[in-house]
Amino acid sequence: MQQTSSNARGAATAGRTPGADSQRVIFSKALRQRARLRAVVNDSSLLAPPLVLVGLFVIVPIFVALYLSFTNWTGFTPPTPAGLSNYVRLSQDRDVQYSLQLTAIIAVVGTIVCNVLGLGVALLVNGNSKFNSLMRVLVFYPYVIGPIIIGFLWSSILGSNGAINALLHSWGGEGFPFFADPTWAAVSVIAVIIWSSFGVNVILYLAGLQTIPESLVEAALIDGASAWQTFWRVKLPVLAPTVTLNIVLPVIGLLRVYELILALTEGGPAGTTRTLVYNILNISFRNTQFGYGAAQSVVLMIVIIIITLLIIRLRRRSEEAVAA
Amino acid sequence: MKLKNMFGTRSRGTAAASVLVRTHSTHTAKAVVAMGVVAVALLSGCTAGGDSPSEGELTGTIRMLVEITPAKTLSYYEGLVAPYVESHPGVKVVFETPSTDGPQGTLQQGLASGDIPDIVQSNLDPVVAPQLLGFPDEAWVMDTPFVSANTLDGQIYKVATAAQIQSLVFYNKDAFDEAGITTLPKSIDEFTAALKKLKAAGYLPLQTAGEWVTGSQLIMMAQPDLMTTNPDFFAQATSGEATFADSAYATYMEAYEGWVKDGLVSDQALGLKYEDAIAGFTSGKAATIVMGNWLVNSIDEANPTFPVGVFPTPTIDGSTPRQYGNAAQPYSILKDSKNVALALDLVKYLVSDKTAVETALTQGDFRAGYSVTASELTMAVAQVLDDSPGLVSFYLGSGSSAFQDQVNLSVQSLYTGNSSSVAVADIDTWWKTNATN
Repeated sequence: MQQTSSNARGAATAGRTPGADSQRVIFSKALRQRARLRAVVNDSSLLAPPLVLVGLFVIVPIFVALYLSFTNWTGFTPPTPAGLSNYVRLSQDRDVQYSLQLTAIIAVVGTIVCNVLGLGVALLVNGNSKFNSLMRVLVFYPYVIGPIIIGFLWSSILGSNGAINALLHSWGGEGFPFFADPTWAAVSVIAVIIWSSFGVNVILYLAGLQTIPESLVEAALIDGASAWQTFWRVKLPVLAPTVTLNIVLPVIGLLRVYELILALTEGGPAGTTRTLVYNILNISFRNTQFGYGAAQSVVLMIVIIIITLLIIRLRRRSEEAVAA
Repeated sequence: MKLKNMFGTRSRGTAAASVLVRTHSTHTAKAVVAMGVVAVALLSGCTAGGDSPSEGELTGTIRMLVEITPAKTLSYYEGLVAPYVESHPGVKVVFETPSTDGPQGTLQQGLASGDIPDIVQSNLDPVVAPQLLGFPDEAWVMDTPFVSANTLDGQIYKVATAAQIQSLVFYNKDAFDEAGITTLPKSIDEFTAALKKLKAAGYLPLQTAGEWVTGSQLIMMAQPDLMTTNPDFFAQATSGEATFADSAYATYMEAYEGWVKDGLVSDQALGLKYEDAIAGFTSGKAATIVMGNWLVNSIDEANPTFPVGVFPTPTIDGSTPRQYGNAAQPYSILKDSKNVALALDLVKYLVSDKTAVETALTQGDFRAGYSVTASELTMAVAQVLDDSPGLVSFYLGSGSSAFQDQVNLSVQSLYTGNSSSVAVADIDTWWKTNATN
């Protein structure tokens, strides 16, 4: 066949002039370029809408925030230059340092607990049954109803005059200072945040569990692996990409928690549940110091980027092992 | 009875007010009261924002961003403007409720997005003034309370419907009788002694709460002493000549610290909301609550089983305090409003029309020359105002809301173990960093 095709090629090229060959090459190149251009235009037209949206609602605000962080803008008068004073102030502000610590605690504790709970519940409700379907709806339901409603709901349960304390008082007991004591308030806030968030982790882990090949699990069982060994050595490694996602998303979300704080405690008692985003919005809108608020938001953005990249880098080995 | 100087000795003009309370003998809880509280300091040289338009030209839709409270609901506002809308065919008033950032925060967002209301009903911070229309130098404006307080660089940027006072202690008369308190306390020491007696009688002596209530109650108590002792305090604090640590705030903060330590306030108070505080008092659990005159409506609606009285907040030396007051139900107009003429006319109606003002006064606020049917408790508040030597204001500079927040944080920190000296030092630290005048 090759002989034939080379003969055919030879027969095809035999008798053609060099000029015609070069014209044919030029014509093919033009065709290829046009095809390439058409592909680029097609791809661009599909990418353009999301790119424009990301540009308008993500990229542009980032640069505006960056600009405002170097000004003393009140929101009501034109911005005036402030140089690096906002950043200098930020580095010395004890309230900001406290908020950063609290936000970090919420992010770390929340992420760990959401993942443990999320994976645990996902393993429990993984099968196909009406009960499992109902449980999946119930665990995801808090995520759907929104943080402000959740906040008001739990403040009416945990508040000093809330349902729990009212019941305790009616039994002659003392109430719990869920939102009246700083430590209790911090724990209560974290607990509510976890309750409202872990449903997403359940759903993501459920999706990840569906991708585990049955053959792997069966092979492990045939080899005599226990349920725990099957989970730890077969399922969990395969879930590596899902685990990465379940770490990155909660961390980013929990570093930005605000509405729940607003509805539950308004940053109290005595400012002890003010997260960084709560601080940013308070200083911007209540204190009319948008420039300083913008500086804090730039710092938060940098922190989130660094943490996200770190997590992805640390998780790369696990994911590459799965891919292999 | 004449109210001499509205803001201590800083009054720029003649502040003359006649407070006249006439009670008809009646066995019912209501009586007609002709209340005259005018907190007006006449200014010269107010800039004019233009003449009021003639009524025949006015049609269109007005967007009004309003403050919503348990008493000032959307129904209340709709009722307030109803007569105006009925008499002005072609005029529509659309009410907008604020986001969680309050009217000022919502307005900031509106300005940033270019989507602004025409009128804002809220006590806006002076920092907003550059965005607001200057009201004209006309009688209907100059006749409103707190004109000088509502003026910045010669521009009147908001007009008030009425005046409200805040240095009030509402008390359970039965509780005081049970506790053997026969004389109403005048000084901080007497007040503390009374609270201890109330505790011994089984009551929560002083109702407090979290949210904004904690700090506001301290301000309500401390502000009269602060401004009476030194009317220029805030300016001096900015220039470094005065500190909160050496002011009346320190004395009241120390007293508050003692109340926390002695259990005269609930240790769970920070977990309570404002509505819980009202319920705590009107249910009879708490014997006293420090609050402004707007509480009268809530108390009357709750209809407690015990008689409620009111007396002025205690002072350091036991003298009768000036009342800490401010503009009640003020209105501002955005200068970029698409319908300035109509907005001006509507605001003129709201602050000068007899029907509108008397409707507003049902909130329990005060205005000279207007009659309103009021409860006995409102009459009692009016008497407190009658007896006071004058009015004082809060800090009138930019960032007053933020300052209030800082005071709130500092007072709340007393519940979490902070000492009063540290709490006051935090206020001084905040002031050095944030105050602009």
